[in-house]
This record gives sequence, C-alpha cells and structure tokens, in this order.
Amino acid sequence: MSIHSIKIEVSELNLFYGKIQALKNISIGIESNKITALIGPSGCGKSTFLRTLNRMNDLINDVKITGKVLIDGKDIYSKKTDVVDLRRNVGMVFQKSNPFPKSVFDNVAYGPRINGIHKKEWLDDIVETSLKRAAIWDEVKDRLSDNAAGLSGGQQQRVCIARALAVNPGLILMDEPASALDPISTSKIEELIFTLKKEITIVIVTHNMQQAARVSDNTAYFLNGEMVEYGTTRKIFTEPKDERTQNYITGKFG
Amino acid sequence: MYHYLEEELDQLKTKVIKMGSLVEEQIDFAMRSLFESNFELAKIVIERDAKVDKYDIKIDKICQRIFALTQPVAVDLRLIMSALKINNDLERIGDIAVNIAERTEPLKDHIELLENMGLLEMAGKVKIIINKTIDSFVNNDHELALGIIRSDDVIDNMEKDIFYRLIAKMEKDPASINPCAHCITLLRHFERLADHATNIAEEVVFLVDAKIIKHRKDLGNLDVKPEEII
Repeated sequence: MSIHSIKIEVSELNLFYGKIQALKNISIGIESNKITALIGPSGCGKSTFLRTLNRMNDLINDVKITGKVLIDGKDIYSKKTDVVDLRRNVGMVFQKSNPFPKSVFDNVAYGPRINGIHKKEWLDDIVETSLKRAAIWDEVKDRLSDNAAGLSGGQQQRVCIARALAVNPGLILMDEPASALDPISTSKIEELIFTLKKEITIVIVTHNMQQAARVSDNTAYFLNGEMVEYGTTRKIFTEPKDERTQNYITGKFG
Repeated sequence: MYHYLEEELDQLKTKVIKMGSLVEEQIDFAMRSLFESNFELAKIVIERDAKVDKYDIKIDKICQRIFALTQPVAVDLRLIMSALKINNDLERIGDIAVNIAERTEPLKDHIELLENMGLLEMAGKVKIIINKTIDSFVNNDHELALGIIRSDDVIDNMEKDIFYRLIAKMEKDPASINPCAHCITLLRHFERLADHATNIAEEVVFLVDAKIIKHRKDLGNLDVKPEEII
C-alpha cells in the first residue's frame, strides 16, 4: 500500500469512555482516493474509530483520547485545529438518513450558506453540481423545493451525501450508509461511493461484509477495540493472515 | 459493485480466450512438429508450456477473487464455474501438446507409418475439434458445442480402428514394434484431446443454456439437432 499517498495517518490512538478503553493502540495509514472499509462485530470500536476522524467524540462527556490523528499531515487534535473547519473537510453520512426538515435545495445549500455563500447563481450551481455528484440530480431536479423528508429512504441518503459534498470535503466518513436501504438503493449508493473515490477519500463502516468486499480497496478488521488486521480488500478476503479475521469473514465468529 | 464485477468477468473471459488461442497454437505446432519432423517447433511447444501454466494460475486467481469479493449469480456464476473447468481442460490440452511434441524425435524416421496407420488423418480431425471448441466458447455457440460432443464418437471409433491396425502391423512386422508402441501412445493422446474438447463443449452448453449435459447420452434433450463437425 505504500506507493499511494496517505490521507489519514493515525498512530497509537487510544480512546477511553470513562474507565472503559474503546480503542487500543490503533495505528493505520488510510490512503487518498481509496475506499477503506472498517469491519468487525458490534462493539468492536469501528464506529468509535470513525468518529475520532472528525472529532465527533468531542461531543461525548468523559472521553479521553491519546495518540495522534493526522489528516493531510495536520494534527486534528492539536489546540490550533478549528473543529468547524475540520468537519467541513471531513464530511459524514450516517446510517439513518437525516435530511433537515427543509426543501431539497435548502438541505444541499445549507453548508455553503453557513460558509457565507448567498449569491443565488452560485448556490444554484453548487446545489446542481452536488446533486449530480451524488447521482440524484435527475430524480430530484423538478422537486428541488419539495421537502426532502418526502423522498424515499435511498433518495434521502443520496441527498445527505450531496449535502456533505456541497462544502467540498476531502474526506467523507460513512457509518453504515446503506444498512437501512433496499438492494436497489444500496447498489445505487455503492455505485456512487465507487464513483466518488476519484475525487475524495472515503472511510466506510459496514456490518455487511459483502458490501465491504464489493466496494472497498482496503479493509481493516476491528475486534474488542483493537485493529486485528489491515490490508487490501483482496488480500483480507482471500488470504487473511490472522485467524480471528478468517473466523469473522467466514462467519464462524459470534 | 456491478461495474467491478463486469470488468472482472470481461477480464476472465478474455484470459480464457487468450489461453484457448495459445493452446490451439500449441496443438497446431505439436502436430506439425510430429508430422514434419520439425524440431524447432517441438522446442517452441515444450518451452511455451510454462506460458500455458501461467494462464492456468491467473485464471484460478481471478475466479477466486470474484468469488471472494462479489456474489455472482445466474449467468455470471455459470461463467466463473465454467471458466474454472475450461481452464483445467485447456491446461491438460497444453500438457498433451508437449507430450506429442516429445514424440517428434523417436518417430522422426516413421512419418510414413503415421500416415499409413491413419494418425495423420486423425490428427487433422482432432485439430478441427480443438479449433471449433475454442470458437464455441468465444461465441457462446451451444449448437457448435453440441456438434463437438457428437463428434467425439468419430474420434473414439478412429482410435479403435487405428489401434487394431497397429496391433496387426506389430504382429506381422516385429521390427515395427518400437515405432508402433509410440503410435499407440500418440493415439491415446489424440483421443484424450477430443475428450477434453468435449468437456469444454459441455461447459459451453452449461454456460449458455444452464443445462448440465455431461454424462448424458441424450445431450439434455436440448432443442437443437447437432451435426457432427468432422
């Protein structure tokens, strides 16, 4: 994996919820313009890890983090880091689509507006481009002023992705983005993720191993707060080194 | 990822076709080396077998990867299953090409015997079968595939005839025992080539029609009337 550039460099990361250690000494280099899947059983720390990458864990009381997370070479836990800036660069898409109770247009324009863009032509352009990048423009172009909550689950999720894209992040974190969707919507999201990686880096948490195998370039397997194995998805799914990884991906675990 | 799967399947099919073309040429060169006592060609065949083996491993790896990373179904699944088996038969055909090429030396002074006993004619038919077999896979041509399967009997009958001819020859002329023994081995190789071609043709039918016809004399009662192709 060394020939590609590293977008996120995590070293010796530990995370404690009070006395409970949820992440143990994680070191990983996440490649630029690749899709990295985090897999593992419930409670293994994969979502917690994902949330350390845009400091979402800051919002939880009694969390203590040690170690380093560098994104584009910058330490995101340094005192100098502006968390709002960080989250603009590191977008997030959740398991359950969470459009604002606003129109499709306003959902996508929300981020740019906060960032001071108010000129109508500019916003029109950003909204159209973002919806196109999220592969949903054709489905909503005539419904831009409709409430986003009226769209189907799969469409809502793609609007949320468009909303994340509207502020031009370099990195998008996805926490089970397709787990609540039917197979067709899931395949649209997967197709989209695949297309997006040309422009941005994607880290995706998934319970669905087949999904990890289908969409990702690299896979990290987490268990009990440890990262057991990390490598190319091809290697992990054809010749995992660690017996624990093998047991998990073959379904013999848990 | 559907694009990913499509790309992988394309790559798989291309590799099988390339391997098939290489193996076809190996057989062609091996037959020519034998019947023309062309040692240069024999050498090429023997050395080039490593290339056939590389395809064998490559195709296995692609199939393994597709199975591990995607969940192929229907015709996609059948393509991978048939590619795995066709790969196996092509590799064996490649080995037989080497075996034939290796007979060039011991039979170099007996070309006339090969012709008189009917081995040249049989080799010609086997070459056609191999050639058409690759075509049937390339074009998903199940009718041609069934014709190939039907033609296997022709080869089997030729084998029997030539075998008894060789026995008679050896009984009459003990000095010919040595070359005739080589001929019997060759005969076996030719017959096996047609068997491998039949296996491949059966996989083509499985791929196209989703019917398993191997070990069935009625060829799965498919709605086509195959003609022998040789």
